[in-house]
Amino acid sequence: MERQIMTRISSQAEAAAATGIDRHHPQNLVELKNIDKVYPNGTVAVERANLDIAENEFFCFVGPSGCGKSTIFNMITGLTEHTGGELSVLGTESKEARKENEIAFVFQEPTLLPWNNLLENVSLPLKLRKVPKKQRHEEGERVLELVGLKDYTKSLPSQLSGGMKMRVSIARALISRPKLLLMDEPFGALDEFTRQSLQDELLRIWSQDQRMTVLFITHNVFEAVYLSSQVVVMTPSPGRISDVIQIDEPFPRGENFRVAPSFSQYVQSVTSSLEH
Amino acid sequence: MERKQEERVGESLTLPNLSQSKPAVNQRSKMTEFVRRKALQILPSVTLFVVFFGAWELILRLADIAPFIFPKPSDIVVAAQGNWVNLLGAAQATTTGALAGFAISTVLAISMAIILSLSKWIEKSVYPYIVILQTIPIVAVIPIIVIWFGAGIQSIIIVVFLISFFPILTNTLIGLNSTDQNMKNLFYLYNASRFQTIFKLRIPAALPYIVAGLKISCTLAFIGAIVGEYMAGIGGAEGGLGQAITVAATRLETPYLFACGLTASLLSVTVYQIVTKLSERMLSSWHESEMK
Ligand SMILES: Nc1ncnc2c1ncn2[C@@H]1O[C@H](COP(=O)(O)OP(=O)(O)O)[C@@H](O)[C@H]1O
Ligand SMILES: [Mg+2]
Repeated sequence: MERQIMTRISSQAEAAAATGIDRHHPQNLVELKNIDKVYPNGTVAVERANLDIAENEFFCFVGPSGCGKSTIFNMITGLTEHTGGELSVLGTESKEARKENEIAFVFQEPTLLPWNNLLENVSLPLKLRKVPKKQRHEEGERVLELVGLKDYTKSLPSQLSGGMKMRVSIARALISRPKLLLMDEPFGALDEFTRQSLQDELLRIWSQDQRMTVLFITHNVFEAVYLSSQVVVMTPSPGRISDVIQIDEPFPRGENFRVAPSFSQYVQSVTSSLEH
Repeated sequence: MERKQEERVGESLTLPNLSQSKPAVNQRSKMTEFVRRKALQILPSVTLFVVFFGAWELILRLADIAPFIFPKPSDIVVAAQGNWVNLLGAAQATTTGALAGFAISTVLAISMAIILSLSKWIEKSVYPYIVILQTIPIVAVIPIIVIWFGAGIQSIIIVVFLISFFPILTNTLIGLNSTDQNMKNLFYLYNASRFQTIFKLRIPAALPYIVAGLKISCTLAFIGAIVGEYMAGIGGAEGGLGQAITVAATRLETPYLFACGLTASLLSVTVYQIVTKLSERMLSSWHESEMK
């Protein structure tokens, strides 16, 4: 246990040295200051939310459905505007930030184009940016390899299982090497086995990257604890951030963590915080 | 090699049980299976065809009805053989009119749907008028077309165009407007231009709808051509099936009239099949789930 903590500290220090960022005083990728969101129909979806999101973190947002998780994401991506407070994304407004191609998205549905093969599907973001074909296909092959689908470049989405489609969706998000990856209940529709193997893959990809921050929505407390460096606990009516719980467990994490006593302690503290 | 396979097929057709019991003749039983399934597929329609025309022939023969009142299939065949050249010429003229009008309405309807879908505002203001236009009976419009454009192929093509335009337009519009919201969000979040969203997302996603519109319109095109010829056709050998039907009716050549009618439906069924096959091929690479 002690040794693990030691390695975590040293690997953190290495990571910090490699990226040139001090982990303890990082530059914030996203800052929410007293954010409110009232929809035109009067629904108060989010109330006075405060949150700082640093580089190279893994944030999970947990909470019952309707507590404003997706709304927070939509404000960060600029799909909807906040109605109060200050929101900064990559140091600017959300709509401006999106234009820098540093933000990527994975939704609950894989949202693949059924008429395009996997290579075309994953390189769509580059195609929309008019990146030359050769370059975008090189990048496409890179990310398909990253998610273990490099033999399927010419396959069509209809030929894949649900888990594989989600891998493609993740690959597409990774193609522009984003600083910020937003995932809204990406594994919600998958079976438990597929879900766990995708969790491990996601963690592997994230720790290899050393720079990317993942924001991940789930209503599964176990998933949240297993994946994140920080768990953001949200409560409904009105949607509020009630707690941010740090998960001090080193990466890489594996089966050992799922059965460790510390895991159930974390689960318990997240659960009790959800009930408040 | 080929001959050998044929023999095998013949053999296994007669001995289906034997071929199934031996794993060595797996290939052979597969072939048999294929042939048998194909035969079973077309068997009902072939039977129905034979029964229908057989009963028709038999009943009329027994009832001893005059061919100019209700012709027997054999009368129709004889009439078709006797007027072979006229029938062929008429069929050709009708096909030309129908396909020309269909092609024009395909191009114009799809283009117009795209333009309408570019802006909600344009669509909202224009679409009601399109619906109103669609409800005007074509028979009421044809005399005006003849007055403006004169009798002849040009008027026939316009009639075909009018009758086959709206199903393609409406279907394409519905298709363009039914793009999945998640997909639209995806394109929006990756900063796609409106142009990119239309051509890389909404049009391909609308393809099954467009194809459905084309299938409806291609048969309507033949109805339009025949109605057009009937009302705005030109006399003589150049006239199409509609013209031939009018002439046959006035001369009480009922068997030939039937021959013309059957030819018309044969033509539109053929074109329908071609459109269906082409669209299946076009859509086969995707939408496998939605095709079924
Ligand atoms: N476009 C909208 N208009 C009105 N109310 C909305 C809209 N989107 C979400 N809401 C409401 O806002 C609240 C938060 O929704 P959401 O952020 O989707 O929750 P979550 O993702 O946590 O399930 C819910 O009560 C929901 O009904
Ligand atoms: Mg949600």
